[in-house]
Amino acid sequence: MSTRIREQQLAWGLLAPALVVLGAFGLFPIGYALYVSLHRWRIKKEAVVGFDHYVRALGDPQYLLPFVAGIGLVWAAYRLRATLASPILATGSSERGLRPLYVRIAWGAVALLGLWVGLVQGLGGLVETGDPALYNGFKVTFFYAVGTIPFQLSLATGLAYLLFKITRARGAFRTLFFLPYVTPIIASAVVFRTIFSPHPSSLANRFWSFWGLENQRWLYESKSVVALLLEGAGFASYPAWVDSIFPSLALTSIIFYNIWVYVGYDTVILLAGLSAIPNQYYEAAEMDGAGEWQVFRHITLPLVSPTLFFLSMVAVIGTFKAFNHVYILRTPGARDSVDVLSIAIFDQVFEYHNAGYASAMAFVLFVAILALTLLQNRVLGRRVFYGD
Amino acid sequence: MATRSGKARLIYCGLSLGGLTAGFPFAWMLLASFMSRGESLRRALLPERVQWDNYIEAWQEADFGLYFENSLIIAILQVSGTLLFSVMAAYPLARMQFRGRDVVFTGVLATLMIPEAVTIVPNFLVVTWLHRNTPFAWLNSWPALTIPFMASAFSIFLLRQFMRGLPNELWDAARIEGAGHVRFLFQIAVPLCRAPLLTVGMFTFIGSWNALAWPLLVTNTPDWRPIAVGLQQFASEAGTEIHLQMAGAVIATAPVLLAYFFIQREFTEGISISGLKG
Repeated sequence: MSTRIREQQLAWGLLAPALVVLGAFGLFPIGYALYVSLHRWRIKKEAVVGFDHYVRALGDPQYLLPFVAGIGLVWAAYRLRATLASPILATGSSERGLRPLYVRIAWGAVALLGLWVGLVQGLGGLVETGDPALYNGFKVTFFYAVGTIPFQLSLATGLAYLLFKITRARGAFRTLFFLPYVTPIIASAVVFRTIFSPHPSSLANRFWSFWGLENQRWLYESKSVVALLLEGAGFASYPAWVDSIFPSLALTSIIFYNIWVYVGYDTVILLAGLSAIPNQYYEAAEMDGAGEWQVFRHITLPLVSPTLFFLSMVAVIGTFKAFNHVYILRTPGARDSVDVLSIAIFDQVFEYHNAGYASAMAFVLFVAILALTLLQNRVLGRRVFYGD
Repeated sequence: MATRSGKARLIYCGLSLGGLTAGFPFAWMLLASFMSRGESLRRALLPERVQWDNYIEAWQEADFGLYFENSLIIAILQVSGTLLFSVMAAYPLARMQFRGRDVVFTGVLATLMIPEAVTIVPNFLVVTWLHRNTPFAWLNSWPALTIPFMASAFSIFLLRQFMRGLPNELWDAARIEGAGHVRFLFQIAVPLCRAPLLTVGMFTFIGSWNALAWPLLVTNTPDWRPIAVGLQQFASEAGTEIHLQMAGAVIATAPVLLAYFFIQREFTEGISISGLKG
C-alpha cells in the first residue's frame, strides 16, 4: 500500500516541473485572456467593460442568435443524414443513393434553411456591425488554410509515394526535402522576400517574363489573383467583389512560401506511414491484377489515411496559428490583404497597446480553432480507415 | 524491362524536380551572399568574384556577434530545460500507474491547440508580474525568453510514445536488480531514447531560433535580443543591400543546418514516430 502511494507521489513529482510551466504559460493564459478581455486594459488594468470588446469585435449580438441557430440547423441536417445512412436504419432497399426522395428533400431543406438563416441573417449582420479587421482576418486565414493545406498534402503524398518506390538515394532526397522545414523562418523569408520582390529583375518576375508574361508586384500586390487574370486578359474594369472574394497576389505568394516550407515535413511523415503498410496487401493486389493507380487508390491511400488525417489536423491548427511567415513577408503594398487573424491581434498589441481588446480577439480565434478541430475530428475522423 | 527503367527514370525526374524546388532558394541565397552589390541588384545568377567581405560587413554592420551569442545561449538553456522536463514528464505518462494519468495527458495535448496570439498578452503580464515580485529579473533577460517554453506538449507526447514501446522485460530486469523508477528512467530509458531525444532537441532548437514576436515584446534593448530579431531589423534597414541580407541569412541559418546534418538520421526517424498511431 505504501509503495503504491510512494509511486503516486513519484509520478506527480516527475510531472511537476512540466505541469507548472505548461499550466502557468499554456493553460492559465486562456482564463487570464478571458479576464483581460473583459476590461479596458492598456498598460494596466483599467475599467471593467464586460462584453463590450466582444460586441465591438463580433458585431451586434442580435445577429448572434440566427448565426448560432443556422449552424445548429446545418449540424442537425448533417446528423439526420448520418443517422439515415447508418446500417440499422438502412435495411432493405435504402442503399446509398437509393434513399426515398422525400428524405433527401427534407435533408436538403433543413441544410438550406440553416445556411440561409446562419449566413444571410446571422453572419451578414455580424460582419456589417463587427470589426472589419476581425472579419478580414477570418477571411484571409480561411484563404490561407484553403490555399495551403490541399496542395501541401497532395504534393507531399505524391513525393512520399515516389520516394517509397525507390531505394537508391532515398535518404539524400529525404534530407533535401526536409531542408526548408529546418531552415530558420526569418532566413528563408528574407530570401523569399527578394525572390518575390516587385523589382523587374527579381527571380519571380524573370520567371514570369520568360513565359512572356507581364511583370508583377508580387508581395506588394493587394489585388486579387482573379482580378489580375482579368486585367491580363484585357478586361479593364471588373466588379469590386472580384477583389474581395479571392486571395490577393501577395497572399498567394505567401501561401507558396508556406507550402514550400511544409511539404518536406509532411513527406517525411507520410513516407513513414507508407513504409508501415504490410507488404501482403500489395502482393494480394498484384495477384488480383490491379494496376498501379488502382493499388494507390484502393490500398495505399486508405491505409495511409490516418497519417493524412493527423497531418491535416496539424496543418489546420498551424495555419490558424500562423504568424511568423506572414509577419516577415508583409509589405505596405499588400495592405490588409495578407493580415491573418494572428497578425490583426498582434497589431492591437504592438501598435495600439490595447491588451483588453486584443485578448477578446484572441479568445475568438481560440474558440474558432477549438470548434474547427472538433468539427474536423467528427466529420473527417469518420472517414479515416484504421484497419481492422 | 525497358518500361521498368523508363518508369524509374520518371520517378527520379519527379523527385529531382521536388528537390530542385526545395534547394533552389538555398542555392540562390548562397550565391547572392558572395555577390557584389551591383550583381545582387541586377539579380545576376553567379558572382564574378567571390566577395567574402560581405560576411564581415554584414556581421559588423548588424551587430550579429551579439545577436548570435544571445541566440546560442537562449537555445542551449531552452533545449536543456525542455529535454529534462519532457523526459521527466513523459516517463510517468508512459510507464507508471497513477490516478488522473489520462486527464493529465489529454490536458497536455490540449495545449497544442492554443495559438500564440492567445497566450502572448497574458504571458507578458505574468512575466511582468514575476519580474516585479521575484528576486531575479525576467524582462530583458534570459528567464522571460526561455522558461515559458521549457515544457512543450509535443516533446512530452513524442517521448511518451517512444517510452511506451520499451520492452517490459527491461523494467522487470531492472526491478530484480533493485532499481526504482528514477534509476530506470535515467540509466536505462534515457540512453535508449536517443532518436526521440535528438528530435525533441532539434525541434526545440528550431523553435527557439525562430522566435520573433515574443522576444520583441519582452526585450527592449539589444542585450538579449536573438538573431531572428536582429536579421529582421537588418533586413528592413538594409533594404537594397541584398548581398548583405543574404550573407546575414546564411549566418542565421548555419548553426541550425549544421545541427541538422549531424543528427538528420535520428531526426527523420524521430519525427516519423510522431505521425504513427500508438
